[in-house]
Amino acid sequence: MVEDTGKTLRADTYRPVNVPEPVKVEEDASGLPVAVGGKRRQVVAAVEDRWRIDDEWWRSEPVTRLYYAVRLASGQRLVLYKDLNDSCWYKQGY
Amino acid sequence: MKILCILLAHFPWRCEVRRNPALEGRPAIVTYTSGSHRLVLDWSPELEGLQRDMPLQQALARHGEVDLLQADLPCYRAVFNELLDALEEKSPLVEGPDLGCVYIGVDGLQLIYPDEDALLQAINEAIPETFTSQIGIAGNKFLAYLAARRSPPGRHRILTGDVAAFLRRLPCDVLPVSMKSRSKLRDFGIDTLGQVAALLPGPVQSQFGPEGRRIWELARGHDDTPLYPRFMEKAIEESTTLSSVTVSLEAILVAAEVILVRVFADIARKGLGIRSLTLWTRSWSSENWERTIQFKEPAMDVKTAVSRIKRVLEDYPQPGPVEQVGIKINRLGYPHGRQKSLFSELRAQDHLIEDIKQLDLRLGNPQVYTVKEVEPWSRIPERRYALTPTGR
Repeated sequence: MVEDTGKTLRADTYRPVNVPEPVKVEEDASGLPVAVGGKRRQVVAAVEDRWRIDDEWWRSEPVTRLYYAVRLASGQRLVLYKDLNDSCWYKQGY
Repeated sequence: MKILCILLAHFPWRCEVRRNPALEGRPAIVTYTSGSHRLVLDWSPELEGLQRDMPLQQALARHGEVDLLQADLPCYRAVFNELLDALEEKSPLVEGPDLGCVYIGVDGLQLIYPDEDALLQAINEAIPETFTSQIGIAGNKFLAYLAARRSPPGRHRILTGDVAAFLRRLPCDVLPVSMKSRSKLRDFGIDTLGQVAALLPGPVQSQFGPEGRRIWELARGHDDTPLYPRFMEKAIEESTTLSSVTVSLEAILVAAEVILVRVFADIARKGLGIRSLTLWTRSWSSENWERTIQFKEPAMDVKTAVSRIKRVLEDYPQPGPVEQVGIKINRLGYPHGRQKSLFSELRAQDHLIEDIKQLDLRLGNPQVYTVKEVEPWSRIPERRYALTPTGR
């Protein structure tokens, strides 16, 4: 754990970590991801887990995400989510 | 292994005579203090019926008209060490277990000294004339000691052949075992080594425990005690004479510090520190004071050593006004290894942060960030951590 320096965070110098990255995902009829990526398309071999996050419902743009932990045909594992506000897909380390 | 034993009878008293020849021929007792008791360390040869460590009052009850001399152990040790140094030029294996008792390994010396007479002549040359030596040569330390004890003063005895016959009539008091065991032997009516040797080892061991085995083996002339030669180490000794005699602790400390500066100038270049030193002083009335100081971790600089010396000087007062101060370095050592880390070292971290700030100033914006927890409990991954500029 990083030691608390006791200093106030300054908005102009603070940088977020683990920001979601937009990604192109093909869905099947039920909405499950079947392939990830555009030019370098990779097929989803299996959906290993799925969960939903509903948070900050008191804000004007509440967080509503449907997460999928998937395994690609290459064996790589990814965590994807579909933002239910704008129906866009993102990948993110969870 | 062939061992030569030298016994120098009345060594402390002889040292006193060496220092003050007027004492020769006068009855004298050398005493030392243990707690509140004054005990006998040594005496002039003409006084009979005295024993080492007996209370002085008992000794005075037997001999009223005697000179009393306070033991100067540092002086005796210095004289004894000079003797051992001289003997080491004759044989590399020299052990001095007690003042006035020396064991020498003589195996192989026949290549230098063709016969035992030549060897004994060389050994006698190393012994100052003040001392009267008794020399014994035998196959182990115990037999060599007994041979030396049984040799006439100034002569030698070489133990060969029938050792059992030599040991048979010797009293059990010659055994280097505890007083309790000697007393118990007397209680059993066992007075001579021959009587012990005639017993079976089992019963002796069952009565005397582990020491019983040793008693039985010694009585039969077996002694496997190895020779422990002096450990050769580079000795550093420095001393300084004060401009005037003083009782001031500060003046003594300054003198010690001056000596230590000289010592560290020599050893610090080699990365060595002091593990053990002996601080000694000599008063104007020739009284010696000394204390050995051990350092748990080697003292790597003058300041560390001086702070320890100061405490010792405060705790153990000087016997009188001091005119000479000296330090003998007994043991040197390297500092204990420590795993160093760039980030855990405060100074290194300060330097690092300073460098980062310089980089930020030169490039105009933060260049190095530190990961900081913001909302580690959050279910939204990107809210948990943030990067903050290092050093701000």
